[in-house]
Amino acid sequence: MSVISNPTTLVGIRRAERPVSMPFFLQVTTMTWRSLVTIFRTPAAVVPGLLISAFFLFVYEASLGNASNFLPGLAGKSYLAFILPVSVISSALSGAALAGEAIVRDIENGYFNKLLLTPINRRALLLGPMIAGALVLGLQTAIVVVVGLLMGLRPETGVAGIAAVMGLAVLLGVAFSGFTVSIALRTGSGAATQGASFLFFPLTFLTATFVPLSLLTGWIKTAATYNPITYILEAMRSVLLTGWEADVLARGLLAILAMAALTFTFAILSLRARTRRR
Amino acid sequence: MSNREIVAENLVKRYNGNVTAVNDVSFRVKSGEIFGFLGPNGAGKSTTVAMLTTLIVPTEGKATVGGYDVVSQAGEVRRIAGVALQEIGIDPLMKSMELLTIQAQMFGLSRRQAQERARELLDLVKLSNVTDRRVGKYSGGMRRRLDLALALAHEPAILFLDEPTTGLDPASRRDIWNEVRRLNKQLGMTIFLTTQYLEEADELADRVAIINNGRIVVEGTPADLKAGLGAESINVTFRETEDAERARSELAAMAERAQVDRKTLRLYLSRAAESVPVVVNRLGQTGLEPVSLTLTQPTLDDVFLHFTGRRFSAEDMPEAEVA
Repeated sequence: MSVISNPTTLVGIRRAERPVSMPFFLQVTTMTWRSLVTIFRTPAAVVPGLLISAFFLFVYEASLGNASNFLPGLAGKSYLAFILPVSVISSALSGAALAGEAIVRDIENGYFNKLLLTPINRRALLLGPMIAGALVLGLQTAIVVVVGLLMGLRPETGVAGIAAVMGLAVLLGVAFSGFTVSIALRTGSGAATQGASFLFFPLTFLTATFVPLSLLTGWIKTAATYNPITYILEAMRSVLLTGWEADVLARGLLAILAMAALTFTFAILSLRARTRRR
Repeated sequence: MSNREIVAENLVKRYNGNVTAVNDVSFRVKSGEIFGFLGPNGAGKSTTVAMLTTLIVPTEGKATVGGYDVVSQAGEVRRIAGVALQEIGIDPLMKSMELLTIQAQMFGLSRRQAQERARELLDLVKLSNVTDRRVGKYSGGMRRRLDLALALAHEPAILFLDEPTTGLDPASRRDIWNEVRRLNKQLGMTIFLTTQYLEEADELADRVAIINNGRIVVEGTPADLKAGLGAESINVTFRETEDAERARSELAAMAERAQVDRKTLRLYLSRAAESVPVVVNRLGQTGLEPVSLTLTQPTLDDVFLHFTGRRFSAEDMPEAEVA
């Protein structure tokens, strides 16, 4: 049985010669890796979101696929390409919930406090789960897109278009994960975090989900007009159905940036509130 | 080696302006000492530890750990202090090797050094054979030992253990006790230990402070505290209460205090053990036949009763297995 090392040295390095902490970049990658490990050790957290997204795709395509000829502007075009972005967005949002859930798990099991007692930079505690969430939701949307391709999706803009759609999805997911981590840090409650993520799920449907925005009327048109998701949806659709339209893409990106500005500010404030010593 | 003292001066912690969890607590823990902070549930032990380990800020008063102020030099305190909180902070999905490696890395070791350190610590707390199992599958005792290992990852000079054996079976408690003694003896680590078990404080601590309702009621070495209560006692039990009463009138003169408790006569006197033959002789002369005769040395329980006016009652106190 090995005896604890000499008091003044640690694995052969004298205390005074040791760096006091890990470089920030490595702290972030370590925390990201750790979050990924825990996410993949709970497949039950990832699989349902993925299944639901794929399920949407199948059901809408099956029930509405032949109706596209009745939708002005869509005549002769693929309904699959029209509806795929809805699935991509729902998978991005459900992936973003993972970031909040990763943080809240640590708060609930006490590991968050344990890390606070090390010289770790507070922001690494936030960035790790967020980056891990972004990677997982990127993977999720990729799977949805592959399913779409297998179902016969032929985007107007080819491979670059697919990359653009996935890029938008990941950015949207990251923006939304700012919200889920905020709720996690504020409440420290897993139930509240899941509830809050779920509350925003209908956002996907208060948009031009099933028909183009121009066909909506009444309150749902108003709601869709103010919903940032609408513009992200339109950006993805234009890439898949029409081609490169700079103004539509710019509107989509702007919507994401606006969301991110709000959620990241909220996240930073929430981190401060959580780690402030009282 | 540098300063390993813990000094608390008039620490106060109030919540929401009125609930006072810790009320004017002062003490000094010397370098290399095991200091027992003893008190029942809700006495203010964990709140004191949280202040000393920089998790919360005192409402009033001041404390230093290893010479560093717990409020203004929190970063330095974290670097020289190891902490195992009452609520074990480990992620059940991770494996022990992973958790220890991360912990050591956060304190500046490279990945390879951290892994080496992790293996060393797993050996130390006898968990080397279960490194591939998720921590969630560990028993309570194994979790405690892992938590202790995590607290030791950066080789702290000062160790805080908040109720390290609460809820453990006797064998696991023994393991932790042995480890605490070893860390203290071999490395000269200063150890601040809270407990609600009197025999734990008695067994481990060089000095003990008893805390009740947020205040320290008494402080000293276990021996001093017990001696402060005065005498040890000889307890003689008879078949009838009258016999005990008769024995008291015969023997009261030789004791500092004599008391009949139902059928038992308690004679309080210093050097009780040496007086046993005399007591037996006198009883023989009077023809009184005792049923049993025992010796009692005061326990910290008696100390607690004496200073707080109530019995110490730890919840789910395991069977005492300390003689």
